[in-house]
Amino acid sequence: MGLENFAYSHTIGIASFLGRGFMNPVDMRLDSKGNLFVLSRSNAANMNVRISVQTMESDYMYEFGLWGTDPGQTTQPTAIVLDVDDRVLVTDEFMHNVSIFDSEGKFIERWGEFGSGDGQFNRPSGMAMDSEGNIQIVDHLNARVQKFSPDGRFISSFGTFGSGDGEFNFPWGISLDAEDGIWIADWRNDRVQRFTPDGEFVSSLGTSGSGDGEFDRPSGVHVAADGTLYVADWRNDRVQVFGAGGAHSETLMGDATLSKWCQEFLDVNPEQASWREGAGLFEQEKKFWRPSAIETNDDGLVLIADSCRHRIQIYQRTAVLASV
Amino acid sequence: MTTVGRNQQEVAVMAHLLRRAGFGATRDQIDQYVAKGYEETVEDLLNPVAARPEDQDLMDRYFIASVEARTVTHADPQWSWRLATTEKPLEEKIALFWHSLLAVGGIKLDHGLEMLTEIDLFRRLGLGSFRTLLFEISRNPGMMYWLDNQNSHKGAPNENYGRELLELFSMGIDDLGEGSYSEDDVKAAARAFTGWASKPTPPPFFLGPFPMEFRFDATDHDNDNKLFLGESGNFDGGDIIDIIVTKRATARFVALRLYLFFVSDEPDDAEIERLTDIFQETDGDIRAILRSLFNSDHFKSENVRFRKVKSPAELVFGAARLTDRFDIPDMDSSTLANQAMFMGQHLLNPPGVEGWHEGEEWVDSGSLIERINFAASELGRTDSTGIHRMIALVENAGDGIGPEEFVEVCLDAMGSIDLGSGSKAVLVEHAAQNGPGTPGALDGAERIVEMFQLIVSTPDYQYC
Repeated sequence: MGLENFAYSHTIGIASFLGRGFMNPVDMRLDSKGNLFVLSRSNAANMNVRISVQTMESDYMYEFGLWGTDPGQTTQPTAIVLDVDDRVLVTDEFMHNVSIFDSEGKFIERWGEFGSGDGQFNRPSGMAMDSEGNIQIVDHLNARVQKFSPDGRFISSFGTFGSGDGEFNFPWGISLDAEDGIWIADWRNDRVQRFTPDGEFVSSLGTSGSGDGEFDRPSGVHVAADGTLYVADWRNDRVQVFGAGGAHSETLMGDATLSKWCQEFLDVNPEQASWREGAGLFEQEKKFWRPSAIETNDDGLVLIADSCRHRIQIYQRTAVLASV
Repeated sequence: MTTVGRNQQEVAVMAHLLRRAGFGATRDQIDQYVAKGYEETVEDLLNPVAARPEDQDLMDRYFIASVEARTVTHADPQWSWRLATTEKPLEEKIALFWHSLLAVGGIKLDHGLEMLTEIDLFRRLGLGSFRTLLFEISRNPGMMYWLDNQNSHKGAPNENYGRELLELFSMGIDDLGEGSYSEDDVKAAARAFTGWASKPTPPPFFLGPFPMEFRFDATDHDNDNKLFLGESGNFDGGDIIDIIVTKRATARFVALRLYLFFVSDEPDDAEIERLTDIFQETDGDIRAILRSLFNSDHFKSENVRFRKVKSPAELVFGAARLTDRFDIPDMDSSTLANQAMFMGQHLLNPPGVEGWHEGEEWVDSGSLIERINFAASELGRTDSTGIHRMIALVENAGDGIGPEEFVEVCLDAMGSIDLGSGSKAVLVEHAAQNGPGTPGALDGAERIVEMFQLIVSTPDYQYC
């Protein structure tokens, strides 16, 4: 079945441990100039993590935040967010902290430590910034969401472990809507929960399964400016789109074509191109494999981090859904 | 025998079973199994049901690169986690057994995703019918690639798979290099497997790896008559396996390998003949053979206890499991496989089609240092639940115990292990010279942990 409200646009990425390309991208953000910051998680034990910056036309620019535990380094990074000044914030679930870089990757500071007290973390994961510049961070093994001021001061938190309303089981992604309402990918409860800006439970969406509106470990959640809700349905290898009142609208399974970087790689490696032609798995090549995060822009572009295919698949909205 | 003596004997035999059919057990676990009974425990091991919730999702979340493992190194965290935490130890142990016997190595097939698929095949089928296992491994795309069967064509068969199937996977050869089969049988088997291959996949260098799949190409299969082990027919690979598994040479080969892996590095001809009979009586039911093996007086006897050199995997995961510190996958759990590699066993990457040479060959001067350093480090993890429990067990024995009893209590707390008299005497002497209150000596928990570390540093600890 074809796409209804989207058209596939293009893909950025190639599997690469360094420089041009990504290795298991788990999150991404666009800066104010439209440049794309991609967080490559890789296998942390293999030291290939980094944040790389490129244009939407696949022009590689620079990278930073390489593997390590020293200031300016990351070990098991989980999420990235940019503030109004394009400063880059990265959560790290090994070091239980947040590192901050300027837009060119120069390290500024880091804060956070292991623990379960206010302001402490046990494996921070998803991160989002509200309209006042405060930072909401999913503190996932503490089963809560913590709110910090722009300079890292603890403000408040909500949530506890469980499966009831307002409770979490290994939550992962977070997104804030236009009113700073909080949406959480409650990963091991196979649902998305919605909260007020103060953390009051509003509603829950989804249950375990593979049908429309069902999830198998949802990792990323994103509420676009028009209110459309996107959920990276991680183990179902798809992205589900929801419109008004949480009604399921469409499911994206992946439509990737060769990225510019992949095409250039095959052009200069004809034996690899021939190998690929011989395999002939062109339909399989298109599909998502563990999509983990979604980003949108004002032009209606929808970017999806296709984590196990080392690329960002990009769609163009062709119709506007009623807001949720 | 007194009740106390009988109980000690039951504990020792149960600990022996859990070392061989798994990776050892904590003292608490041993007591639980003793209460359950030996034969019932054997059945639990042979028919495992995990109590823990499925945790594959956690592994995948924290080590996303292992989901699409492009190399065996990327796949390491997955198996490390299972080995360190499984509640179905025999399932992992039998996977290790077949991993070395039906070996596929990363030196040629550096495809971590496929290697994990193969290990899962061993988990699922490793305790069942040998015929089924041999058939499925012959349809395993990694195996087909590893042994060149994609280059075996009608009219131009490649003999590699047919030869290794007979020599290394089923019937074997004797000390003189003679098999129960001929070169003509190898050629016939190779012809029967023509058309069995792996599907081509795209190169992994731009989108990562793709799962491998088996492919049978009927147009490339030799449909002519074949003469194999005295039987004639238009055989395909499945027919060849059907014939192989009826042969006593196959039964004896598998029985011998099971004996060497689970019982002793020194084969016992009578016991191996008995296990061979069971193989033939049960059509190669591995579970039935192991049931009989574990329940035998031969297996339970003191003669075979602590007579097998621990493989690196047994040593690493045995020590790590004692600490009981892995609730959630983390960097530590992900790198355990590296420790086994430093000791000479690179999991998911056996050195060749013969697998690893086991027994005394595991230990040389370099690997011995790695073994001791690792085990001593693990037993020094005083922040772990497992070491806490072991310390408490020793402390419960009271402050007034003498050096001999102190050593015995420490050995018991570590899972009812035993040492030779020579090593024990050295430890007792150390305990006597560094007893409580001795100037400069460690005290309390530190003294206990020191003794744990000394125990794992003895030559005897290299045996299970």
